[in-house]
Parts: sequence; C-alpha cells; structure tokens
Amino acid sequence: MTSSLKRFTLAVALAIASAFPALAGSIKVGFNAPLTGFAAADGNSALIGAQLAVEQVNAAGGVNGEMLELLVYDDQASPKESAPLAVKMITQDEVAAGISGSYSGSTRAAATIFQENATPYISAYAVHPDITRAGDYVFRTSFMGEVQGRAGAKLIGGLMNLKRVVVITLNNDFGKSLAAGFKETAGEFGIEIASEYTYSIKDREFGPIVSKVKADAPDALYASGYFFTAGPLVRQLRAAGVAVPVIGQEGYDSQKFIEIAGPHAEGVIITTSLDRDSSEAITRDFIEGFEDKAGYPTDMVAASAHTAVLVMAEALRKAGAGDKAALRDAIASSSVDSSTGHISFNALGEVRKDVQVQIVKDGAWRHYAVISDPELLAPPEK
Amino acid sequence: MRGASSIAMLFLDLTIQGLVQGAIYALIALGLTLVYGLLRILHVVHAALFTMGGYAGVVVTNATGSLALALVVAMAVVGATGVGIYRFAYKPLLDKPPLVALMASIGLFIVAEEAFRLIFGAYGLSFTDPPLQTHVEILPGIFLSHARIAVVGLAVVIIGLLAWLSASTRTGISWRATVSDPPVAASFGVDVEKVRYLNFFIGSALAAVAGTMVALLNNLVEPTMGAVPAYKALAIIVLGGLGSARGALAASLALGVIESFGTIYLGDVLDRDAIAFAFLILVLMLRPQGLLARG
Repeated sequence: MTSSLKRFTLAVALAIASAFPALAGSIKVGFNAPLTGFAAADGNSALIGAQLAVEQVNAAGGVNGEMLELLVYDDQASPKESAPLAVKMITQDEVAAGISGSYSGSTRAAATIFQENATPYISAYAVHPDITRAGDYVFRTSFMGEVQGRAGAKLIGGLMNLKRVVVITLNNDFGKSLAAGFKETAGEFGIEIASEYTYSIKDREFGPIVSKVKADAPDALYASGYFFTAGPLVRQLRAAGVAVPVIGQEGYDSQKFIEIAGPHAEGVIITTSLDRDSSEAITRDFIEGFEDKAGYPTDMVAASAHTAVLVMAEALRKAGAGDKAALRDAIASSSVDSSTGHISFNALGEVRKDVQVQIVKDGAWRHYAVISDPELLAPPEK
Repeated sequence: MRGASSIAMLFLDLTIQGLVQGAIYALIALGLTLVYGLLRILHVVHAALFTMGGYAGVVVTNATGSLALALVVAMAVVGATGVGIYRFAYKPLLDKPPLVALMASIGLFIVAEEAFRLIFGAYGLSFTDPPLQTHVEILPGIFLSHARIAVVGLAVVIIGLLAWLSASTRTGISWRATVSDPPVAASFGVDVEKVRYLNFFIGSALAAVAGTMVALLNNLVEPTMGAVPAYKALAIIVLGGLGSARGALAASLALGVIESFGTIYLGDVLDRDAIAFAFLILVLMLRPQGLLARG
C-alpha cells in the first residue's frame, strides 16, 4: 500500500517532468536521491549540491559548449525504487551517465544496473563496499566506511591520545563498516575498546546506552550515526553527565546536528570530507553558493553530490558524451580539484582524498585537523 | 566504579530509564487500546496524532516560550483531530468489516507522514531554546534531566486522573461500561456516541502529551517519528490484552524496562524493536489472553 501510493506520486512527478523535453544540445546526467520518505532531508540537500555544481559548470560555458542537464529521480532510498529508475534513466531517458545522491541500499541496486548497461555511475556519499564492486563502470567520490573508521582510530588514539574507547554503532551498512575500520586499526594506535553497543536507525532514545556508558567510564566515545540519531544521543549523554569527547563521522555533518544537540554539540569532533574553513576558492564558492541557494548552511551530502557532478563534468569534457567506455576511462583517470579536495580513483573506482576533521565551535563546524596518510586511508583495490 | 554496588547502581539506572520510556509508551498505548475496546478498530493513525502532538508542542513553545501552553494547545488540537478522524473516517465505515477501517487508518497515517514533511520540512523541527534541559542528581551518580522527570510526573498525574475519573464519575463509569460491552451499556441508557467522541478526544490528547515529551527528550520531531510507535503500540495493547487499559499500562512499563536492559545485554543479537516482539511472542505463548486480561 505504501509503495503503491508512492508509486502514484512518482508517476505524477515523472509525468510532469517528462512534459518538459530535454534542452537541445544538452548532456543528460541522471541523478537519483531520496526526495521523499525517511531520507528526504539528505536527498534534498544532495540535490541542491548537485544542482549548484551544474549551474556552476554551465555558467562557466558548460561542457565543451554543451549545457549539462540533471535529470532527477526520487528513489526514496529504496532499492525497489532505484533499480527500475536506473533502467529508465539508461534505456528511456538515455543519460550519458548517472550519479547517486542516495544511501547504500538504493545505490547498490542501481549500480548493478548501470554496470550491466555499461554506463558510468558515481556514488556521491553511499558507503557500502559492494557498490564499486558492481564493476568497472562504478565509482565513488566519498570515503568507504572502513577508510573513515581507520581515520577515526588515528584521530582518537593518535591525534587526541585517548585510549579507552566505547564504540556506539549504528546497526546498518554505514555504522557497521565504520566500526569495522575503527576496530581493525584501533590496536595500532593503542586503543582499548571498553565495550560496544549497537542501536537501530529508528532509535532516538538512548537512555539505557547512556547509563551503561557512564558505568564504563571511557576516555572517549566513537559513535556512528546520522545527525538525527547523533543529535539526540549527544544531548542525552551530556544531560546525564557524560562529559568525555564524542567522536563521530560524516553522518553528523549538518547544521541540523548542532541545532538538535544545542550547546551540548560544542566540542564534538567528526571525520568528514568538507573543510568549512578551507581557503580553496572552489570550496569557498561551494559553501557560500550552497547557503545562498538552500537558505541553510551546507552539509556533507551536498558537498559530496557537488563533488560527484564536478568529477563527472570534467570527465565529460575530456571524453565527450557519446562513448561510454571512453567516459568511464576518463573518470578512472580523474585528477580533479573539487569542493571536498583533490579527487583521484584507485583501480576499484574508490576515491583517494584526505580526511577532514571538524569540530563544533560556537555553534558551527570548524577546522580541527586534516588526516592525509595515503597508506592508512588506502581504499581496497578489489 | 566497579564491583557489586556499581552494578546495582547501573541496574537501578537502567530501570529508571526503562520506566521513563515505559511512561511514554503508556501515554500512546492507552488511547489505542481504548479505541480498540470501543470500536474493535486498530487505530494505526494514532501514531500520527503522537507526531502531530510533537510538532504542536515545538511550534507553540517556539512561538510563545511556554511549554505549559504548548502542552495545552497540543492536547486540544490533537484531541480535536482525533475526534475528526472518528467522525469522518471511522464512523462512516462502522458497518463495514474492521479491515476496511484499518485500511483507512493506514492510509491516513501515510498521508499524515507526508503532510508533516510537506508542511514542516524533511529535516524535522527542534526547540530554539529547549525547556527543562537542566539535570539533577537523584541518587549518587544517577542524573535525570528535568525533562525525564516531567515525562514520568505528567504520565502519573494524567493517568491517575483518568483512573479516578473512570472509577468515580458518572461519565467515567459509562465510559468503562461502553469500552467493555457497548451493546449492554447502550441498553442501560449510555449515550455510546458521546462516549466515543470523548474517548477519541482523551486518547488523542494523551498521544499529544507523549509527542511533546518525546520532542523534549530528543529535541527533535520528524515526519516519521510515529513509525515505530505505530507498530510497537499495537504490540503493547496485544500484550496488555486488547482493550484493557490497565493491561496496556502494565505492558508499557514492562516493555520499557525490558527494552532498557535488552538494549545493553541483548543489543548484539536483537535490536530494540525486535526485543518488543520477542517479549510479545513469549507472553502470548504463556498467557494468550494478554498480561492482565482475564482468560
């Protein structure tokens, strides 16, 4: 019932969208993101980030004189939706390539179809390892969970020199892969994991975990989550008198986290891909452009989608839109400066870039450190 | 922080956390079980009324700075909406099989979730200046925020008041009579229709209180915050014996405490929502009629 209603809404949306034919002489790039449903907040931010990138590319003359056109599809963060949408993008709407502004489940399903149809596909911020394993047409411009988990271990054990850590893990692809990377490298940095708790993405009430953390008395917490789980978690930890540092990841990376946790957000540190205090023009333009366009400060998903579009545009410039194999090769050999730093890919299509460490200071995300350790941050090659 | 006394403190703390959560479940489940008792309808959209209560609480508090006023407005608006749902969605369907009303209820729930998203945005709302965020040390090492104390206090006061009303006033007695046996109550001259309106108003107002309280604990209301209560409250009223207010209350508190310990000691195997259903299956195997209902 849910899905039939949603399909109806979708049908209406698509009917409206298809009433406006593609502009002549434009290069079409498909973009799937959750615009309705539980992940709609991230989907809409990602969309604005992607649209901003398209506007910037077109304002600078487009791709070899042709305008870039983003075709947008609502996948509700569901594989059931994203798979047929991927088929439609490729076979009916004839996109040159696709970009995912969506979560892991939906991105995995779509990636398989893009690979089968030999059409390039870039995942902007989905973390599941199997996405790029779909094949050589699939790339990822964000960190894999494992990579970011390793950066978290270096941050806590190395940079902050805190050794007794409680791990709080969100029980989904994102949380589990972060925890795996963290635990794999924790020993190298002298970290002892005092205990680990898991919670579901639907949980907002962490009273029992908070009580147990208090009894565990760790030096620091490594807690995976999204702003809508991490905000309540941090608030409840602090309200119960737990004052130790909380280290999170890019899932926290939104102004909304600070709004939910309020003054309790101060001092929370995360690993992410966007440096708010960057002096690079491309990053500054993105941060300011996003706030103008969206009306709220930027976040990680927007920066990631923005990055993915810039990478795609650069590859289209080199290879053109006609030959998908050439376009794939152009993406694979990318060496692009983007809003989230310098982007290149390894053999598997995983990104190589620095991890940005940000801290909440005076109600905003600020620069704390950069982790650029190619060995530690090396994504898997297969 | 080690040793037997610290374990005892932890268990006490976990029990308290469980009771806070249980109080919220109770506020939600009471309305649901009363509707089931009256109409034999599984009132799924009740969870959307809970969400609506959260939004009303945050919006009014942010506009006026008064949480007390926000609670009153939330209860009134949500109570009236509950009455409207009975009048315009369920009443025309009462002569149809209960499944039809259930479908209508699920449909309304989906519409409501998307409506919240369209009206208030996908990001959800937070208090600009969240009230009751200070905490007190109730026992050495056990801190409770004033928000948590308020949740339990309000639940006790409201549920106590209802218990008194239903036991000692004429309206209350006819209400209870109607819930336990509508035809007999009607034959004794009880205005069943009036009881139904009252029932929807009170049940929905309770859900509104729960919504505002959850908003206070998390400082976040989201369009989908009713999704978990939508099915967990059903488990609770089945646990309590369908239509039994006392059973729902007991089941809510028991589930709150069991989830609290389960999150820590079973978290690797079962997530919190699975614990609720494992408990449900266990109880139904031993007491098919529910925790407190007579067999």
